Amino acid sequence: MAATLVTVAVTVGLLLVVTGIALALADGGAATNDDGDAHIVPDEQASLSAVDGVEGTRLGETNDRAEELRAHEGVDHASPILAEPGHLEAVGSGEPQTVLLVGVLPDEEPRTVAGLSTSSLGDTEAGSEDGQPHGEIVLSEATADRLEASEGDELSVPDPEATANVPSLSVTVTAVEEADSDGDTDAPVALVYVTDLQSFSGAENDQLADRVTVWGDEEAISAIGAETFPEATVESQRTTDPRALFDDGLALAASVLALLVGLVICSSFIATTAGMSVNDDRRSLAVLESVGIPRRGRLTVVAVSTLATTVVGAILGVALGFAGIYGLDIAASATVAPGTVAVAHPVFAPYAVGVALLAGLIAIPYPLAIAARTSALEEVNR
Amino acid sequence: MIHRILRARGTSRSSTDEVASQAAVRLEDVTHEYGGRGRFGSSRERSVTALEEVTLTVDTGEIVGLQGPSGSGKSTILHAVSGLLVPTSGRVELLNTDLSERSDRERTRLRRTHVGIVFQRFHLLPSLSARANVALPLVQAGIPKPARRKRASELLESVGLADRTTHLPGELSGGERQRVAIARALASDPDVLVADEPTGELDTETGRSVLELLTTVGRNRAVLVASHDSETLAVTDRVVSLADGRIIDDGRSGRSNTPSS
Repeated sequence: MAATLVTVAVTVGLLLVVTGIALALADGGAATNDDGDAHIVPDEQASLSAVDGVEGTRLGETNDRAEELRAHEGVDHASPILAEPGHLEAVGSGEPQTVLLVGVLPDEEPRTVAGLSTSSLGDTEAGSEDGQPHGEIVLSEATADRLEASEGDELSVPDPEATANVPSLSVTVTAVEEADSDGDTDAPVALVYVTDLQSFSGAENDQLADRVTVWGDEEAISAIGAETFPEATVESQRTTDPRALFDDGLALAASVLALLVGLVICSSFIATTAGMSVNDDRRSLAVLESVGIPRRGRLTVVAVSTLATTVVGAILGVALGFAGIYGLDIAASATVAPGTVAVAHPVFAPYAVGVALLAGLIAIPYPLAIAARTSALEEVNR
Repeated sequence: MIHRILRARGTSRSSTDEVASQAAVRLEDVTHEYGGRGRFGSSRERSVTALEEVTLTVDTGEIVGLQGPSGSGKSTILHAVSGLLVPTSGRVELLNTDLSERSDRERTRLRRTHVGIVFQRFHLLPSLSARANVALPLVQAGIPKPARRKRASELLESVGLADRTTHLPGELSGGERQRVAIARALASDPDVLVADEPTGELDTETGRSVLELLTTVGRNRAVLVASHDSETLAVTDRVVSLADGRIIDDGRSGRSNTPSS
């Protein structure tokens, strides 16, 4: 039974890690961690002036339409949010680091976007009228550590493929913020003005953004948002929703593939290890028969013990999976990937137990067949 | 304490005498062959005749010894009586019920309620305590757990293992394990007790104490004991001798209680 426990735990753990990666793909990671009251996100079904690829669909004309939103009663603030991975380096260091740049339009109120406070970016009006970049950046602690930068330092954005049409970006660190404790504390993210990031990433003309985050009265935002962005969806307070998997083809494919592979591997291992276990325990089954436990009772013992072992293995697998997701995020943040590459969700626990139980049910005919074939006479005479 | 078990059955020595003439076990012309046909109907396996036209009766209150060389059919008789095996031909009656005509499920139920089995190698479940092993036959009977524990504790006390109830089989000596096995066989207060080489794995002294226990608890039941051991057979009321699956002496015609070997 120990072998069954270990194999179920490992398989379920891997399933959760892959599902966590898929959910992070669908969710957007650290960039989506903000305190907005509502979010206007692209409708996957709509035809938009947008870039559609692995980064997902984007909204167009967001700066102008966010301004329209801000003019309405019930809306305190509205900001396009654009997230782009980019390379930053401290001037003269020659060591560019990968950071998730999150563009936001700040106002006078302190707000949180990508887990960082927007207040250090200053008011949106300052420096924007002449069309020049604001040149300010707020770093998370993880980013500051990685760049070995502190407040007041100059950072440059090296781009070996830069052309004359794409302006280079030089920014000044206005603050190093401690990211809020919402699971993305170790993500190397940085806040910049959305117009700066649009300009740098070539999204300026269409004013592209991943979403528009709105602060204010949710009902008012819902009505006005639907009117201003008819091709988009207005979502209330954002959380990591596993249903997001169904909105993202790549993430859904990854999670379904993980589910199928997990089911096949898990059920194969359970069948094999439980079958071996029953085979080793044939004498006990013979004893049960000799004391008058009927065949159905003996098979029930085998079925219950197999499924119980599977569930215990699944619970261990949940712990393993959550630990794996946490470890993966740490490893990815320390190496190549800015932001969160895998996210955990409480629904993973019942999901994993359910998958393991299903695998157990698929596997159970094999140990039952071995148990049914056991001859009490052969075993008690051995 | 042993007498408590006897009292629990609602019998006394005098009442045992009254029922002594009732046949608890009856085998009529029982023949059993092992093998004979390979898988897929081929006849590659050579058949072995384990029993050949065996007729035997064991009355309630009688302890019958089965003796004979290995392969003579002693264990096969015990398996037939306990319903673990259906003979190729002939009748096996347990308390006037023909086992041969009963389904596997019915034979299992009859075994659970009327037959206690003691094996040479004890066959206790290693992961269960002595008390849980003894209570095992009561689980299927639908007896509540507290009552099962009480009954098992009483039985263990009756076989002198009151201080071993929570011990695992691996923590017990051979003699103690066989006592647990006997207590388990008595759990459902069976009418018939079958024991296959009950002292085969025990030293002489321990074997004697187990035999004493077996004869005491068997006085108001029908008991069948298969053994090579003359000391074991000496405590029986009658010794049936077997050779090549046939009864060569049923212990009634000549002097009983004396093994021929």
